Amino acid sequence: MLTFENTKCECGHQNPVGTVLCESCGNPLDVEEAASEAPLEMRYDGIARRSQKANPSPIDRVWNFFSSVKVAVRLIVITLIASIVGTIFTQENAFISFDPSTYYEERYGWIGKWYYKLGLSNTYESWWFIGLLVMIGTSLVICSLDRVLPLYRALNKQQIRKHLTFLTRQKTVYASSVEGAPEAWTASMAEQLKRRHYRVHQDGDALLAEKYRFSRWGPYINHIGLIVFLLAVLLRSLPGWAMDTYITVPEGETVQIPETNLYVKNEKFTIDYYKDDELPESLKGTARAKLYETKAVLYECEADCDDPSKQPQLKEVKRHSIIVNDPLSYQGIKAYQFGYDDTPKLKSVNPVLIDHKTGKTYGPFKLEMRNPELTYALGPYTLELRQTYMDFALDSEGKPTTKSKEPNAPAFVFVLKGPDLAEGGEPYMYFPKQNDKARFSQDVINGELAKRFEIKVPSMEGVEFAGVVTSLNIRSDRAMPYIWVGAGISMFGLLLGSYWHHRRIWLRIDGGRVTIGAHTNKNNYGMRAEVASALRGLGIVVEPKSLDNGRNKS
Amino acid sequence: MKSNRRLIQLVIFLGVLVLGGYAIGNALFASKDGLPRKGSEPPDFALLDMNGKTHRLADYKGKALVINFWGTYCPGCVYETPDLVKQYEKHKDKPFEVVGINLGEDKLTINNFVKQFDVSYTILQNENNDVQRKYGLKSYPTTFFVKPDGTILDIFVGPMAEADMDKRIEKLLAS
Repeated sequence: MLTFENTKCECGHQNPVGTVLCESCGNPLDVEEAASEAPLEMRYDGIARRSQKANPSPIDRVWNFFSSVKVAVRLIVITLIASIVGTIFTQENAFISFDPSTYYEERYGWIGKWYYKLGLSNTYESWWFIGLLVMIGTSLVICSLDRVLPLYRALNKQQIRKHLTFLTRQKTVYASSVEGAPEAWTASMAEQLKRRHYRVHQDGDALLAEKYRFSRWGPYINHIGLIVFLLAVLLRSLPGWAMDTYITVPEGETVQIPETNLYVKNEKFTIDYYKDDELPESLKGTARAKLYETKAVLYECEADCDDPSKQPQLKEVKRHSIIVNDPLSYQGIKAYQFGYDDTPKLKSVNPVLIDHKTGKTYGPFKLEMRNPELTYALGPYTLELRQTYMDFALDSEGKPTTKSKEPNAPAFVFVLKGPDLAEGGEPYMYFPKQNDKARFSQDVINGELAKRFEIKVPSMEGVEFAGVVTSLNIRSDRAMPYIWVGAGISMFGLLLGSYWHHRRIWLRIDGGRVTIGAHTNKNNYGMRAEVASALRGLGIVVEPKSLDNGRNKS
Repeated sequence: MKSNRRLIQLVIFLGVLVLGGYAIGNALFASKDGLPRKGSEPPDFALLDMNGKTHRLADYKGKALVINFWGTYCPGCVYETPDLVKQYEKHKDKPFEVVGINLGEDKLTINNFVKQFDVSYTILQNENNDVQRKYGLKSYPTTFFVKPDGTILDIFVGPMAEADMDKRIEKLLAS
């Protein structure tokens, strides 16, 4: 097509290189097109794309590459295949904490190993996938621009009198002899077409009627929507625009949402199970959750937010009972119920000090697992806390140590001071949990002192457990409105393009013979029916089918 | 008309280069989760020391800084502490600081540990462990070596031998 040199039409119009149908009269210029008998290639009205040039520069070559629909389709197909591959195994971002370098191989064998090695475990965030999206975006812009501008010009200054070949090679054609003045006949046809909501332009005995031209802009509006959509997706990678994080909040406590000035309090977490009579036979006796609910309060920090030496000043902004699929929502931030942990964790105990010699009991005193008081006055005695081990164990050298900071096996080292005790006090080790006391032989550690004194919790009432911990998934996506706008524009363009079709009818009378050619991009049956009905209005009865240009292959 | 067309071409290509470059560059270089890595700047923190004074990362700007995450329940942390104290003592006259961020233990435990090992560098408490999360810790101990210009020279995961520290701190002080 680019080798075609003589771009001047017989009507005298000078066309750009790559023109298929003369911009002015519609006569086929392209050698192949001119030699053919088939209906004309009406795509973009036969105009040259903007980028079609005789001597393209390097920039033009890049431009031409992206301007090609063939290239666009290939890019889309490659992206689709990549997207499919990305769904084969769970993507890395679906896990909260795991080691991807071993997970895929352990779970899926050698396929998993290579899946991870090729970076497919992170398909949608990989540079090449984003690169494909960028190329599709570029192609969208350039393809659209390259076509929409010439098309706009072509449709804006249409020649009314087209070349006869242009009319006879449309898909809907009518030709017959007419009687009377050609101009009057044309005018009465114009009247018929106007009734069918056509906009009619008459030039003596030639006529152009068209309707629903706006539908031609549908695809381009659709593309603008897609570009807005892609840009909105790009926005999400800016810091602060998208958040997807998890927080765990023990009952009764308030926790800050990372990187915000918002705090969430878990007032109460409830988990409810179905009763047996609510369950079908096969599920009876199993624990089936009916409800997970976090009574949450959202606070906004007003002052002292970033100073750990002061308590943040919080103001309540929202209160909501979060259940599954009913998140707490505030200014675009949503907190979803994600999980819970109800394994009992010791919070505090209220033990007493027993003097076995006298049989007297002192206390109780409150011993917190977290940040306990350092001294306790019990009658004539004083307990000084010297060391705590939340998860007591002995290390390889036999020295006491703690395995974690969770109170799984708490141990406290006190110094007991008082009458009849050594100057400076005597050490006493206390394990609040009965099984730890036996396991680590508390009485043996305390030796002689264990015979005289005992610290113990008199009843279970003296034991407090920490509340259930709820985990919430915190999400926010500030780009979402733009994504919706993009999707809306795109859908609007799609509607324009698919529910309305540009219809055009050309007519000319040459020496007492009328020729009508009509073109639409979809529903040629409807087009023929409309031409037939207009002719019927003039008293000419034709079968719509007979208007079908015999050369129409479809 | 012609130059107009060229201008539109250039504007579009420029837009594609900037936006596309940002998107691809983001996928290539930025850490996916915003976690610190070699060459990036460590996340800010505001934590209390054992005397109740607030310390921020910004307070250490312009000094070579070692940020060490530790807990008494982590044997590796206990193992490396004496050497870290030695390093601090050796270089404390230079613009050099060591900060030990404790992993959510209470004051008594921390104080006992500080006394036991004669820790002379700054120990910070982080009861709710949020700093640990920001720094993306996967295991303990983990040590960040931060250059005076505020970028991370190296991240060491696991207990360090004296040579490991020495090598990195010399590099820090030279930078």
